[in-house]
Amino acid sequence: MSKKKQYDERVLAMTRQQHLTHYVLRTRFRRYGAVSYIGHLDLMNLFGRTVRKTGLPILYSQGFNPRPEMVFALPLGVGINSEGDYVDISMSVKVEPEEFIEKMTPLLPDGLEIVSVVYKDEPKNSLMSVVTHAEYALEAPGITDCIKKIMTMDVIEVEKKAKGKIVTNDIRPQILKFIEEQSTADRACLMVMAGSSSNLRPESILQACVRYAGLEQVHADNAGVTRLCLYGGEYPNTKLIEDFV
Amino acid sequence: MRTHKEVVIPHSVLMSVQSPGRYVGGEVNRIIKENIVKALEDTGFTSAVRIAFCFPDVYEIGMSNLAMQILYKVFNEPEWCSCERSFSPWPDMDKAMRDNNIPLYTLETKSPLNEFDVVCFSIGYEMAYTNVLQMLDLGGIPLRAAERSDDDPVIVCGGPVAYNIEPMADFFDAVFMGEGEEVDLELAYEIKKYKENNKKDRQALLRRLAQIPGVYVPALYKDEYDENGRFLSLKPIEEGIPEVITKRIITDLDNVPYPTEPVVPNMTTVHNRAYIELFRGCIRGCRFCQAGYIYRPVREKSAQVLCDNGIAIEKSTGYDELGMLSLSTSDYTGLAELTDGLLNAYEGHHTSLSLPSLRIDNFAMELMKKISSTRKSGITFAPEAGTQRLRDVINKGITEEDILKSIRLVFEGGWSTIKLYFMLGLPTETMDDVKGIADLAIKIEDLYYEIAREKDIKVRRPEITISTSLFIPKPFTAFQWEAQDSIESLGEKQRYLKSLIQKHRSINYNWHGFETSVWEAVLARADRRLAPVILEGYKKGCIFDAWDDMFKYETWLQELDACGLTVDQFIGAIDVDAPLAWDHINIGVTRKFLALERKRAYEEKVTPNCREKCAGCGAACFKTGVCYE
Repeated sequence: MSKKKQYDERVLAMTRQQHLTHYVLRTRFRRYGAVSYIGHLDLMNLFGRTVRKTGLPILYSQGFNPRPEMVFALPLGVGINSEGDYVDISMSVKVEPEEFIEKMTPLLPDGLEIVSVVYKDEPKNSLMSVVTHAEYALEAPGITDCIKKIMTMDVIEVEKKAKGKIVTNDIRPQILKFIEEQSTADRACLMVMAGSSSNLRPESILQACVRYAGLEQVHADNAGVTRLCLYGGEYPNTKLIEDFV
Repeated sequence: MRTHKEVVIPHSVLMSVQSPGRYVGGEVNRIIKENIVKALEDTGFTSAVRIAFCFPDVYEIGMSNLAMQILYKVFNEPEWCSCERSFSPWPDMDKAMRDNNIPLYTLETKSPLNEFDVVCFSIGYEMAYTNVLQMLDLGGIPLRAAERSDDDPVIVCGGPVAYNIEPMADFFDAVFMGEGEEVDLELAYEIKKYKENNKKDRQALLRRLAQIPGVYVPALYKDEYDENGRFLSLKPIEEGIPEVITKRIITDLDNVPYPTEPVVPNMTTVHNRAYIELFRGCIRGCRFCQAGYIYRPVREKSAQVLCDNGIAIEKSTGYDELGMLSLSTSDYTGLAELTDGLLNAYEGHHTSLSLPSLRIDNFAMELMKKISSTRKSGITFAPEAGTQRLRDVINKGITEEDILKSIRLVFEGGWSTIKLYFMLGLPTETMDDVKGIADLAIKIEDLYYEIAREKDIKVRRPEITISTSLFIPKPFTAFQWEAQDSIESLGEKQRYLKSLIQKHRSINYNWHGFETSVWEAVLARADRRLAPVILEGYKKGCIFDAWDDMFKYETWLQELDACGLTVDQFIGAIDVDAPLAWDHINIGVTRKFLALERKRAYEEKVTPNCREKCAGCGAACFKTGVCYE
């Protein structure tokens, strides 16, 4: 091996080492409209392409197939809007949040917006492990009455497909709070368990409303679902995702 | 009077179908001309020409199609023209749309297809024909050209199948022959003048369109057959309509618009990458290959322009892979300069290059080491035929020694997965040729172990996959007169090949179904009498024929029979002197040359490629490209 080559190898090794330091931009974004109908993997790729377009010094994963280092807080289902989802985007050097927002904003498609960005020097916990709760808004005629009704029940059984079999689950313990002050007759806001340890999908709530509270199926099918925000920590002392390190 | 009414797709409909992202648009780099739609809403009129560009297959496939991206840019460039996209809805969405009375719409402004001035189809393969009917039907447009009124859009199409569009002649008002970059706008301009004139006379418009070089208006021609049902002629019905339509080509590819800001789908498509186009045409002249003849003459883009395209497109899309398109990458004369330039420009970007149809030699191996982020997927070879005799018949232009030399390089480079593509049913094929396929695969298997011993590397089992497709005689090839092999004979050949490699565990065999190939051959060479068959098949529920699990061969046979036609009529041998349903189209390459190539095939004589020696095919009439290098 030539001297030059040896030197190059060393620089490369050092850079790799240095790259283990993640300069993280914790990015809160909202999503609505056409782009809500894509899957989680598609959304990840979309963010990846957009970050690449900014020309900022993104950190790439190691290995044969390097990809921009990004961690999403919680997958967003197809057809669900969001007002407050999070992605940690890693840079190889420090990038100011303002610069990041300025460069990303014009490149994102309609329906994807960056709300705010906080800089994290080196997050201790993976963003995914931080999330414990989520707030959703469900929009359908008379939905609030339905939610109030099912919340008086001790057990709310819904059916879910798991590994090809239909299993019955009690979702009552996963619904924590109906948020009166943000709700109207046709828009119900509620806080539920979310994340890797226990996750309630909004479809299950709608199914319960049809089953136990007389919500019409056609209204459930057409219900608008928006994830309002994600939280971490133990209920009722939950904190915003930005506040975690 | 055309107006604008936005189609609303209920959330519940989108949530009830697979991959709703196909139907919503909203992509980066899409073009929406709001002023044109607004003028239409406010005043009920615009002289601007609105074009719906339709791709008769699902979104993921259509959005990977370069022609669509090119023409989208071309049509959207003038102020007076706007182009929006539409794709075939998958059967689940097709049903949901019919159930909910949702017309087929464009992704940009959600306008129903029947609101447009022009509905333009890009058709890459014959099996998409029924999807054309599906799109027209869902778009609220009468299927048959003869049934359309002055208020209906002008329905046009282009693409490689246009060269024999006769089976679809009933459904198109006009057809583009050749490359669309110039002729498409000429047609749009005629429509603009027509709109400004404000005198509605569809027939007069179609006659004017027929005067544009490269535009074929099927309704202005009449077909004739003899008493045995053989095709006799297709002639203009009146004076002033061209008897022969010559294809259009772009003479200078460096100076033609290229979509360096293509629409980037939000969802994952078949090919998730950006593209540059190295050249059009192919110097090789394989005798079965339609693309090899219809795109002649070979015209290259300069490495400098391509490098600039590659840099711009990476920036505008964010893709991490750039595909280099052409029929034979290794034949691009500036390949070293181009790849060096791009690798240089992409330094540190983690952007990879993909080079399909590369002939493996030392240069290619070096290149692959440089470009691939060492994703060691399989390497593909297309010997097409198993024996040298048959490879000479089809003018493949490679020897067994070439193949084994390349494969040696591949194995030495650390690959152990090889895919081999062959065709069954080629003219003059015997069981010896079929055996040749197995022999070649076994030689490759032996070669792997030999190299492993030489290099003293740990022996794994190589993975050698043989795929056979079936020969389909296509118009405008040296084999356009040939019969397609019978299903019985093909079945026998497949079974024989399978039996020969049965004991070799490192050799796998994949084959292609016979029935789709038979139907493809029928569609490829049929004349106008097939149009009612296609229409009836569609009405019986045939769509997405290109998808094996949706192809209904029995239905097609029944419909063919109901119209008094047989499969053999279209897939049987044609007399070399007999008139052909596509004789009124001129691709540059002459019929005389194709007949000569056929003769040379039977003599097992190889014709040198365009760069070695001009074979006088006729494409020089376009006065450009390799013919004048």
